Amino acid sequence: MSRFSPRVLPRVSLRAWLSYRAQLWLLLLPFLLGTLILILLPMVVTLLLGLTQYDLFSPPEWNNFANYINWLTDRLFQRALYNSLWFIVIAVPLRVAGALLLALALNRRGRGFGLARASVYVPAIVPEVAYAMVWLLILNPGYGIVNLGLQALGLPGVPWLTIPFTARASVVVMWLFQLGEGFILMLAALQILPPDVLECATVDGANRLQRFRHIILPLMLPALLLLTFRDVATSFQSVFLTGVITTQNGPYYTTYFLSHYVFDEAFGLFRYGYASATTSLIYIVTVAIVAGQWLAARRWNRLEDLD
Amino acid sequence: MGSRLLRYLALSVLILVFWFPLLWMLSYSLRPIGLPPPTKPEFFAPPLAFENYWRVNDYMAITPLMVNSLRIAGIAVPLTLLTASWAGLAIAQLPRAARAFLLALSVALMLVPAVSTWVPRFIFFTNLGWVDTILPLLAPAVMGTSPFYVILFYVSFARIPSELYDAARLDGANALQVWYLVALPLARAAVIAVAVLSFAVYWSSYVEPFLYLQSEAHYTFPVAVRLLEQAHPSNFPVLMAASVIMVAPVILLFAFAQRYFLQGSDALAQFLGRGGDAFE
Repeated sequence: MSRFSPRVLPRVSLRAWLSYRAQLWLLLLPFLLGTLILILLPMVVTLLLGLTQYDLFSPPEWNNFANYINWLTDRLFQRALYNSLWFIVIAVPLRVAGALLLALALNRRGRGFGLARASVYVPAIVPEVAYAMVWLLILNPGYGIVNLGLQALGLPGVPWLTIPFTARASVVVMWLFQLGEGFILMLAALQILPPDVLECATVDGANRLQRFRHIILPLMLPALLLLTFRDVATSFQSVFLTGVITTQNGPYYTTYFLSHYVFDEAFGLFRYGYASATTSLIYIVTVAIVAGQWLAARRWNRLEDLD
Repeated sequence: MGSRLLRYLALSVLILVFWFPLLWMLSYSLRPIGLPPPTKPEFFAPPLAFENYWRVNDYMAITPLMVNSLRIAGIAVPLTLLTASWAGLAIAQLPRAARAFLLALSVALMLVPAVSTWVPRFIFFTNLGWVDTILPLLAPAVMGTSPFYVILFYVSFARIPSELYDAARLDGANALQVWYLVALPLARAAVIAVAVLSFAVYWSSYVEPFLYLQSEAHYTFPVAVRLLEQAHPSNFPVLMAASVIMVAPVILLFAFAQRYFLQGSDALAQFLGRGGDAFE
């Protein structure tokens, strides 16, 4: 007695010549082929083209690591690399911490909490162009709401986007607002915490901070790590449009990141070989940071077990 | 009583903070064009200029741009649903070793920075002669757009009791029929979440349409808005009206779908709970 009686299902002879498992691999084929052609092969191609000079019109020419040697004297490249690393070091921990704190605060039933959770996610799905433009208006030196508010309080306005420090800080803040994806991940991670562990700790007299430090944090470590890795990876492109539209990469290239450098080298100057070398560096930086954090977390976890 | 009041106050502030950029966009989009910019904080300057939305047409043709953007999303979203759910089902049904490998692969793919695909894909698609067509923009849909969507489907399908799959197979269903008759109807939340999220991706996309679509007739809405900003950098009422038009469909879809992936839907929690599979 099942819903799927032979009458309902047309007689398809697929099963006769393909095992179910082979059929599953067929279903997986678009994903695997797409991944191979759009991500894995491009990686290999990038690593190889990074060793060449290539303008897309004539065939690539091997140039004896000239791209890598060029990095040593290319001040703009060094600036972009420094800015991107700075952004990862400053903004990623802030965004992960923000996502975790908001998830801890909003992970409960009750009036208003559902709306609050949805609201936190909203900036993350606003189309990037519109999002950057509204910040350009909000932070406008003359009539942006932030400066008008400051002036109403009798304080001087600040040209946020044209002072190196505040321009960078603004780019960080704009990105912090978009922590929705990490927020969902943290909510989900909180929901799988075993409730009895928390109860035991409360009975044992652990206070809130102790519970967070010694129970919640270690249990959430895998999710926290995943989020940190993901934020490192997305940090490269998510500052691209905000940098182009709000600060226009300025002042003095303080908001010029590796994504801008790759974009300009490739699509502005047609130096695809050099841009590939820089793209390879993005792979290397990502892998290095992910591996470093992974090891640090494992070490921390082991120390935690010894306590 | 006092603490409850305080809690509502804190919640209201939080909600307002996260809505603030959008509220500001909406408010400024209704400011009459040509009115001097404000000199003190004001949320709405009467009279409200609803005609701004129409007047965006004086600067860029809304309808053809919308059609171009919707055409891309209209092809890419269904394709994404198809390929991501196929992959998700296969991962859920394949033996343990294959599953662990495919999940680890998906998580690793989530960590590939999008920037790093710009240059090699551009070289690839240029050599294929696909520049100024929408094919390069649709290509990611073949791999389910994001490995995250594949994972979301995998989790939803893995939660369906295996007896249901077995019953269908005993009745002679092939993989496609299992997918269509058993898996999809029981994973409606995942279907809706992936549809909305991937729509937002294709609708909002700027860099790829900017790179590949060269003739003006192919421009998408975000590309045109960015050009408008470059041509009229201080005409904020029009820029904000265009932005609201761009944001509205995404926010409306999100409002309809948010409960499927934010409230009470624990698909992600299940994934993290089974995280072991992915991190082995």
